[in-house]
Amino acid sequence: MKLIKKTNKYYLIFLVILFPIMVVVDYYVIQLAVNYEVEDILLHEQERIQYNLAQNRTLPHSNYLMETEPLNVNDHLNEVFRDTLIYEDYAKKNVPYRLYSFTVSKGQQPLKITLKHVLLEINELIRWLFIATSLIMLLLGIGLYFMNRRIYQWAWNPFFENLSKLKDYGVTQEKPIHLKSSKIREFEELNEVVTTLMDQVRKDFQNLKEFNENISHEIQTPLTIIRNKVVLLLESKNLDEKELGLMQTIHQETNKLSKIGKALTLISRIENQEFKRLDNVDVRTMIKNILSNMEEIILFKKLRIDTEMDTALIECDYLLADILFTNLVKNAVQHNTKGGFVNIQLDEEKLVISNNGEVPEVDMEKLFHRFQKGNPAKDSLGLGLAISQKICEIYGFRLVYENNDQVHLFSVFFEG
Amino acid sequence: MKILVIEDNVELLRDIQIFLEEEGNICEIAPYFKSAYDKIGFFPYDILIVDITLSDGNGLDIIKEVKKENIDAGIIITSAKDGLEDKIYGLEIGADDYLTKPFYLTELNARIKALYRRKAYQGNREIFFNEIKIKPDSHEVFVQDQLLDLTKKEFDIIHFFMVNKHRLLTKEAIVEHLWGDHIEMVDSYKFIYTHLTNLRKKIAKVGGNNYLQSIYSVGYKFTDRE
Repeated sequence: MKLIKKTNKYYLIFLVILFPIMVVVDYYVIQLAVNYEVEDILLHEQERIQYNLAQNRTLPHSNYLMETEPLNVNDHLNEVFRDTLIYEDYAKKNVPYRLYSFTVSKGQQPLKITLKHVLLEINELIRWLFIATSLIMLLLGIGLYFMNRRIYQWAWNPFFENLSKLKDYGVTQEKPIHLKSSKIREFEELNEVVTTLMDQVRKDFQNLKEFNENISHEIQTPLTIIRNKVVLLLESKNLDEKELGLMQTIHQETNKLSKIGKALTLISRIENQEFKRLDNVDVRTMIKNILSNMEEIILFKKLRIDTEMDTALIECDYLLADILFTNLVKNAVQHNTKGGFVNIQLDEEKLVISNNGEVPEVDMEKLFHRFQKGNPAKDSLGLGLAISQKICEIYGFRLVYENNDQVHLFSVFFEG
Repeated sequence: MKILVIEDNVELLRDIQIFLEEEGNICEIAPYFKSAYDKIGFFPYDILIVDITLSDGNGLDIIKEVKKENIDAGIIITSAKDGLEDKIYGLEIGADDYLTKPFYLTELNARIKALYRRKAYQGNREIFFNEIKIKPDSHEVFVQDQLLDLTKKEFDIIHFFMVNKHRLLTKEAIVEHLWGDHIEMVDSYKFIYTHLTNLRKKIAKVGGNNYLQSIYSVGYKFTDRE
């Protein structure tokens, strides 16, 4: 749920809870205030009556007077307020009154005087309160909604901008990330933390990348030297059988080392998404080129090549496409039996390469793992399929292997 | 021809120098960017072999300088990086060839000779070895003036041998030369063996000598020496 919806929801819940509380509290407060005011008026009237009685000895006219009642001398009366309902003819209903009784002396005669004052009708009171509160709530709700939206736009704006920046940012980028600064301290702190973190990750990545590149670079030069020295030694002619064997092994392993270095560098470069070009690759032409490059070997192995290829364009780095298809075709040619066949079918959706050959002795699951060899052929490193798999991964292609009855089938589905 | 080799690994530099001098070239060396920079300013060279990563600079800057000063020298880049971008960029700024480490000296030699032929003779130079003559441009091989009927790869093989006379060419070097180092298969070694046998037969058929010597089981030499 979006933040703004979430906060709006909580505001709404808050208002719904607040509404009855406000009505109840207002009701009591207003009632209290009205009662207090009415009592004040009645006490005033009492004073006026008492004053008039003392001055003129007459009971003055009073709008609030309800009744007077003579009392016995000994009777004592507490001055008391109370509420009552009095039926009013004009309204044809009971009307609430506040009554106040007290005693005065007219001459020697004690009098009980009861004053009355009309009160607010409860129903009316509640109704108005309801309307007024609703109105306040409505205004509050609208206010909160707009305020929330404004805050959301203003205060959270840098946050969202930075979020989209972070979404687009990859550690492969060489420039450090620049986040939009905010006046809000929490966001500023977040920015600092994120920037530091990203910087660290980026630096680590760059270091790792540099390390990989250096390794690859640094080992290739010594390997060049070793290999050429071995050739020089072999040229010198005076080697016996045993020494020759040693030299050959050194030569072979040097080659292997160099190839492993290159292949691993390639895999890590693919993983680091350093191949960013999107070329329109014509798969058919590419495969034709690959086949013509291997023509002699194919002839040599007396392989039958059947192709059934429609035009297929895919979007990916040209070099990687070349590596991928070369690997697959090479695989089909290499792991074939003499006089076998290679069948290549291509359409817009998929490329299927099938060939016959021995069933590999490797676990199907592990076929695409690094250093897995189908047969321990001398110069196969077992990295070809791992590289192919990686290339497929980054472009969302699906590489599938099946085999039945000595027929191997590799399929690349271009749309996942 | 006169060659300047720019390479920061002194051991490799010496190997290249010895090899190229044995091939009859004048070979000078520069282990640093600065020494290379000074040398190309003072002396004319036919070919520059440039390593990109030098301890005190970038080899690509030397190439830029050569092009800026209009120095007429063929340039071969040697680099440990085999990324396509590096290759394209190197060729774009004016290098003629790009060789990825580790390379065989025989391969470097073949590239140098091919480049020199293109530059100095516009390709119209025939290569001779006793009774054998190669016209690299038209991909023709003559033995005692008789044209041999060769496949493309057979031509490539004999051409490679002819520019590396008396040298041991390992099977790996031949495979790399023929296909580059990405297509390497067990079959390619058998393939080479078969084609060398064919080549021998074809040369013998028109009365040519067998100059192909198998050296142990690691490779071959094309030589008339014992």
